[in-house]
Amino acid sequence: MARSTSKDAQALFHSFRSAYAATPTNLKIIDLYVGFAVFTALIQIAYIAIVGSFPFNSFLSGLLSCIGTAVLAVCLRIQVNRENKEFKDLPPERAFADFVLCNLVLHLVIMNFLG
Amino acid sequence: MPKLPLFLILIPFLPFLCTSFSPENPSSRRVLVLLDDLALKSSHSVYFKSLQSRGFELDFKLADDPKIGLQRYGQYLYDGLILFCPTTDRFGGSIDLAAILDFVDSGHDLIIAADNNASDLIREIATECGVDFDEDPAAMVIDHTSYAVSETEGDHTLIASDDFIKSNVLLGSEKIEAPVLFQGIGHSLSPANSLVLKVLSASPSAYSANPKSKLSNPPSLTGSAISLVSILQARNNARILISGSLVMFSNRFFRSGVQKAGTLTKHEKSSNEQFLTELSKWVFHERGHLKAVNVQHHKDGEADEPSMYRINDDLVYSVEIYEWSGRSWEPYVADDVQVQFYMMSPYVLKNLSTDKKGRYFTAFKVPDVYGVFQFKVEYQRLGYTSLSLSKQIPVRPYRHNEYERFIPAAYPYYGAAFSMMAGFFIFTAVHLYNK
Repeated sequence: MARSTSKDAQALFHSFRSAYAATPTNLKIIDLYVGFAVFTALIQIAYIAIVGSFPFNSFLSGLLSCIGTAVLAVCLRIQVNRENKEFKDLPPERAFADFVLCNLVLHLVIMNFLG
Repeated sequence: MPKLPLFLILIPFLPFLCTSFSPENPSSRRVLVLLDDLALKSSHSVYFKSLQSRGFELDFKLADDPKIGLQRYGQYLYDGLILFCPTTDRFGGSIDLAAILDFVDSGHDLIIAADNNASDLIREIATECGVDFDEDPAAMVIDHTSYAVSETEGDHTLIASDDFIKSNVLLGSEKIEAPVLFQGIGHSLSPANSLVLKVLSASPSAYSANPKSKLSNPPSLTGSAISLVSILQARNNARILISGSLVMFSNRFFRSGVQKAGTLTKHEKSSNEQFLTELSKWVFHERGHLKAVNVQHHKDGEADEPSMYRINDDLVYSVEIYEWSGRSWEPYVADDVQVQFYMMSPYVLKNLSTDKKGRYFTAFKVPDVYGVFQFKVEYQRLGYTSLSLSKQIPVRPYRHNEYERFIPAAYPYYGAAFSMMAGFFIFTAVHLYNK
């Protein structure tokens, strides 16, 4: 049983890699951006686990900026993806404008809460 | 008519005529000496002359003289009282037990000498001062191993004692070499009383009993618990000397030589004169009377006194302490004066350093607690007047703009937030210009 599950995992991984190679470049760029945001969030969680939560507001602000950025980037990716039937009528420029405005609000809040 | 403006001019000077004795200037000058017998004036002349040579005006009166009084119209006539009248049952004039106690309560000094036929009145005065003489009226202090050797075979009531209290402020800085001759009654001090001190104790082999009769039961006062000479410093800094022997003040004892039984050294002169003269200097405030003035505190670097400190401020506290030398205020030099920064308990307790000119100062950091604190100096040392200073000062926490602007522990979070903003900017550029 274990051998078959590991074989299944490997097959799954290979099919994922080949499918992913077919995605358009701009979506790959957005994925990279999300990965960067999540990575920064993980660094901050490791830091608070080591050092302790002294300026807790700063921790929340930093963490929220990473997570908010990731969430907004994911929203942009969903709306810009041409294969997505739900957002067929939404112009990608409109999606991008929403993305920029939301990010502005996010960073305004972050700067105020950072202390 | 011309006399009226002159009279008005003189009115403002009246307060200065009345303040010949004040706590600011504790030089006692007028002392009332009550005697049983005017012959004491000559038999104790060396002691009285030592007082007069230091500037005291001694007023000798018989104890039952009807014209004596300690105060008139609410003002005290004398600054000190010496009772060399052990057999007096009633004082004359307006003096009685209550008047004497009022006299002491108002800050004046007292010297009492009892003797082996001390009256109840003298014993009662001593009891009010915290000292209990032996109840047996015929008892005297007897010591069969520490008596003073004399030609005649005595009953060992004349004892030679050298068990002095160790204090330079009480007994002077010169070491007392010879023992002190004593012949009289002994007293004991209550251990609960923290204000009295034994200056001259009897040796462990002494006891208090009637020398003429056989001992039927063990004596109540024995050993070093018997005090021969005691002092009391009251909380208002009045000083009282109580001695169980009047004859130890006499010229005969001052001039006589002494040899303690069991020792070979024969001293030419007993140290009665040195001991009693030095003690009288202490009793009349010529030594050990301190005053603390000019308490100052300010922030380190500034000069004026703020109305409030902030936590973690650096501050400097200073006070000036002087000692009365009999003629003037001299700087007091010691290394154990401490200041407390106190709120329910001392948060800071520091020794004050001195510049040897009377100024004591120290610097410390306000603790990390806010509230209303007090600068407290509590100084109680044996033989010195007690100093109790207290100055209140509030301490506030940080204002909202006094915290540090950027917290070093939060630098990673600042970095994360700014890197997110930079990443957003780069991403929008890439996303827009990507084919």
